Amino acid sequence: MNVLEAVDLQKIYRNRQKTVAAVQEVSLTLAAKEVLAFLGPNGAGKTTTIKMIAGLILPDRGSVRIAGRDPHREPKALRSLGAVLEGNRNVYWRLTPEENLEYFGVLRGLTRQVARQRAQVLLERFDLMDKRQSQVQKLSRGMQQKLAIAVSLIHDPQLLLLDEPTLGLDVEATASVKQLVREIAAEGRAILLTTHQLDIAEELSDRVAIINQGKIVIEEPTSELIRQFSGTAYRIELEQELDADRAYKIGALGAVIEGNRVAVHEVSLLYPILEILKPLPLVRLEKDRANLTEIFLKLVGKNAI
Amino acid sequence: MLFELFMAELRRSFIQSTRYSAEIIGGIVGTTIIFYGLFLSTRYVAGGGFQFGDRFDSIIIGYVLWTLMIFIQGSISGNLQDEARTGTLEQVFLSPYGASQVFLCRAIASLFINLVINISILLVIIGLTGSNLSFPLILFLPLLTVLLGAYGLSFIMGSLALILKQVQQALSIFQFGLLFLFTAPVESWSGGLRILGYCLPMAPGAGLLRDVMARGEGLDGGRWAIALLNGVVYFSLGMLLFRWSERETKRQGKLGGY
Ligand SMILES: Nc1ncnc2c1ncn2[C@@H]1O[C@H](COP(=O)(O)OP(=O)(O)OP(=O)(O)O)[C@@H](O)[C@H]1O
Ligand SMILES: [Mg+2]
Repeated sequence: MNVLEAVDLQKIYRNRQKTVAAVQEVSLTLAAKEVLAFLGPNGAGKTTTIKMIAGLILPDRGSVRIAGRDPHREPKALRSLGAVLEGNRNVYWRLTPEENLEYFGVLRGLTRQVARQRAQVLLERFDLMDKRQSQVQKLSRGMQQKLAIAVSLIHDPQLLLLDEPTLGLDVEATASVKQLVREIAAEGRAILLTTHQLDIAEELSDRVAIINQGKIVIEEPTSELIRQFSGTAYRIELEQELDADRAYKIGALGAVIEGNRVAVHEVSLLYPILEILKPLPLVRLEKDRANLTEIFLKLVGKNAI
Repeated sequence: MLFELFMAELRRSFIQSTRYSAEIIGGIVGTTIIFYGLFLSTRYVAGGGFQFGDRFDSIIIGYVLWTLMIFIQGSISGNLQDEARTGTLEQVFLSPYGASQVFLCRAIASLFINLVINISILLVIIGLTGSNLSFPLILFLPLLTVLLGAYGLSFIMGSLALILKQVQQALSIFQFGLLFLFTAPVESWSGGLRILGYCLPMAPGAGLLRDVMARGEGLDGGRWAIALLNGVVYFSLGMLLFRWSERETKRQGKLGGY
């Protein structure tokens, strides 16, 4: 059984002035251990979809099942779900990390005793032991975010929803959140993740779904998607800039030169170009591999990142 | 299991309020001054040779109850608004207990804390003014009916907070309504007015409280049954409206305060 099955979700907001089709015909499934990167430009409908899955927004149409239960009809379904929501604090700033974990543990249906044990394990694991008794408002943004993730795991849910978990974090904190996401998935949880940092999505996800203007444009395993969009071209990187003579010859063959890089668009040109470059020292020679950013821009449009 | 949640809410409320200790102390001092001023001025107005004892006591009880009810009445909506502001509200709605149970536990837990403070103030004032209120255990029966009604109203205000996001005006109008409900001698009305009195939220229970507490009368079983029915009806109404509003805000996608 899939941990998450969302079928044909639709949400259309009707205000006095205008109608916004926030989400249309969106279906997502997730199995245990899977990380799905849910990507899309601002206003595409990611948060709306996530909240429909969490039971916080009522869909106009469609159904959600978390471990077989509908969160809109059976609050018990929420036992299997943890979420870190975008733009929210998610935890109490006046309480300490320890108090937050214990409180939310009970709120999610644990006994106090189990909540306390789990809290200690999570504090240890998320490296928050030293700060467990300081008020959350005094912690760094990175620690607050780690705590929010720890709290979302307190009741050991099968499905984790992370809406922009690295927003506003510095490099180090981002790296540690990334590492945690990897570990959490490896434990057997399913993770639905949104982010505007496409390199993170590329590194972490098993599958990618891209949404634009409320509709899913593509959904593929990440490696498959990247293979599809990768051309047959090669990239050559040199240690120093190309001299004018060689640059002229290579340019005449039809390759594109940018400083110390040469982009070769036809396989047949690779060896003739290497011949011209000889004996200049190379830094690397690689087959062109599309990255998620390029794919995203192709699918969603340049004005949309 | 619900008891575990209640205890967790009690701990959370308590910890949070100790971390706002300046506010708590300010609140206690303020309430005491207002109470004491009220006592003195009622004394002054009622003074002289008239036998105003029984009116005087019922005004005091009415007032104390009124402040308690104001607290209960605003507690769910206030909590909803606070949490929407601090960005924790949606996490609360992710509880498998369901929102109405969580907010009921919260409201009762904060009443517990408030009650301890209020009763202490009341005792101090009784000591200071030398007034003489009876406090029999049977009091809890009418108090229960009043509390049920008060929580019903609290859920109604909570529903307004969910749907409208703005309840300040409604709350202050309600506060005056409550003052009327608690000081009006509904029990002495007759005919059609009496029936109306039975239907007003909390009024029959408040009348019983006055009788038992200030006038030292026994508890009338029939009137208590009416008061209980009144409380149950308002409580259920509040719960139903709250569940409806929860669904409606979720439909509008406004739970977090869009
Ligand atoms: N409660 C609401 N009422 C009306 N319109 C709404 C409401 N919530 C969201 N919208 C609109 O629905 C669309 C989708 O919003 P949503 O927040 O799901 O986008 P998103 O993909 O999460 O964007 P971002 O990357 O900026 O977080 C937007 O056009 C937004 O303005
Ligand atoms: Mg969003």
